[in-house]
Amino acid sequence: MRFFDPHIHCSSRTTDDLAAMAEAGIRAVIEPAFWLGQPRTTLGAFTDYFSSILGWERFRASQFGISHYCTIGLNSKEANDEGLAREVLEILPSYALKEGVVAIGEIGYDEITPAEERAYEAQLNFAAENDMVVMVHSPHRDKKRGIQRSIDVAINCGIPMNKLVIDHNNEETVKDVLDSGAWAAFTIYPHTKMGSARMCEVVKQYGPDRIIVDSSADWGISDPLAVPRTGALMLEKGIDPEIVRLTTWQNAIDAYAQSGQIDVEALEGSLEVDQRELFGDSSILRGQEPRVDTPVIN
Amino acid sequence: MGTLDESDPGKASTCAEVDVEQIGKFFCALLDGRLSPSAAEYVDQAAAEIIAGVDLKRMGMLFALASRHARDRVLLDPSEEELTLAAKLVPGWNPERWGLLETLRARLWFARQDLDQASCVEAVEALFAHADEGECRALYRILPLLPDGLRFQWRMQEGCRTNIVTVFEAVACDNPYPARHFEDVGWRQMAIKALFLGSPLWRVHGLDGRLDEELARMALDLVEERSSAGRPIPADLWLCVGPFEQSRALPLIAREVDHGTEEGRCAGILALGRALQEGRLEALIRAQDPLLSPWAQAAQDGDCSQAAFSRLPGREAPNQ
Ligand SMILES: [Zn+2]
Repeated sequence: MRFFDPHIHCSSRTTDDLAAMAEAGIRAVIEPAFWLGQPRTTLGAFTDYFSSILGWERFRASQFGISHYCTIGLNSKEANDEGLAREVLEILPSYALKEGVVAIGEIGYDEITPAEERAYEAQLNFAAENDMVVMVHSPHRDKKRGIQRSIDVAINCGIPMNKLVIDHNNEETVKDVLDSGAWAAFTIYPHTKMGSARMCEVVKQYGPDRIIVDSSADWGISDPLAVPRTGALMLEKGIDPEIVRLTTWQNAIDAYAQSGQIDVEALEGSLEVDQRELFGDSSILRGQEPRVDTPVIN
Repeated sequence: MGTLDESDPGKASTCAEVDVEQIGKFFCALLDGRLSPSAAEYVDQAAAEIIAGVDLKRMGMLFALASRHARDRVLLDPSEEELTLAAKLVPGWNPERWGLLETLRARLWFARQDLDQASCVEAVEALFAHADEGECRALYRILPLLPDGLRFQWRMQEGCRTNIVTVFEAVACDNPYPARHFEDVGWRQMAIKALFLGSPLWRVHGLDGRLDEELARMALDLVEERSSAGRPIPADLWLCVGPFEQSRALPLIAREVDHGTEEGRCAGILALGRALQEGRLEALIRAQDPLLSPWAQAAQDGDCSQAAFSRLPGREAPNQ
């Protein structure tokens, strides 16, 4: 099978991870702009990060036959440093319209402060003006209320619900999100948020419509293979393969291809990637044999 | 007997200043019929905006938004006539492998009215500060077409410092700039780096015109380093040797001809031609080896320029 992981922070993953992901059938990923585990203190740190997820990380992933897309945005945590946040919002248009940027994100609330709300609204307005998809990071604390507010504010800013993806859902929030008409994404974390088994139950209860599975793997304890693992568990539990395909591949494409920045034809086409030209011993592989002629498992 | 092509516009050549108006028109003609109606509309609208004058931020946005109108993987696929015209407009310019999106971006760049002014350099750097991979490629392909090329020397050499192979090749391959404007250190580093990245050195425009003792020494050091590590020698490496450093080079070439891969053996024979080893080539022709003798004959006939390396076994077929 092939998988789309529409939320993974590749810049904090190793080449071993990328190789394992390709091996497990992950054919495409979205790397949302987020924080780095600690707050940045300068604008340059943001711009270099945006450049990196638009350039080097895309290249790194391509060397493993993985199509890499990204989202650009100011995350909610760092929105609270208001001076720096203003500077970041000012330069955002220079990155947000690039090739392969499939959404504004991940944005939304962390502590649900006025500063977070100002940054969130400014970015929603930019997304609405430029006909973009929005990826919302829902807060860990006060999640249910945070999600409802994220949706309400997005509606106020003129974001059509078919262009809104609410991420990090759980059993308690999924109904509100689906009822609003937005996409409901689920992060499969080993210990917190959602586990694969719980995900199977959600899919059994709500069906595959507008439901998306992702890993959100980052610099914390997390699993870059969460999507294929969950897909495998769904099949094992007797869930219809078409439902598995929708929730681990097609729905993510349908949601984010609305950006016009996913070459769906290429993604659906031949997965046989000749990696020979891309492997160089001073780029990623240092003197190792490239994994050539092994197309991504389909 | 083979001699290297000295007519190539190398470093010292005095190339007439480019005619930006003609190049701009050429880009319009290239796009004509190759874009969807909505993409064509975008180009016209964006170009009009640029002609009227845009600030750096807006220029960056228009450049980025081009990606909504042409897919990166779609190639320009120029005709023979178009390639000929390109080379006439800027000697050494070869858009054979350009993408449609890059061409679209070039068209927008040539709508600027300040191409020979300092504000153009400022705009180039402003765009690079935020450029994604595709935009970097486009810019590195556009800069060699602008007047007063030396303005961009640092920027173009900076392009070779990337490890993103596609960006490196936008500078190094099919691009007249490095041979014409790189200083010696940057030029040699680019050639050797191409070998490390596995980029096709035979596509480095003007390579044959800028070989020297130092590049040959660096290449031969690499041969020894690879041999010690038990790793294969890139066939294109022999392009760097030419007629230089013969006391060291000839035994290494001989070893490659005898023991290399099929590709390496044939490349070694071309290297003999480039090192003017008529006697050795004669012997190889007489041996009537089905693989090697035709290559030796070609080299003896002078067909051992960098272009000959495009035909080595296992490589893409030359253009029809
Ligand atoms: Zn995240």
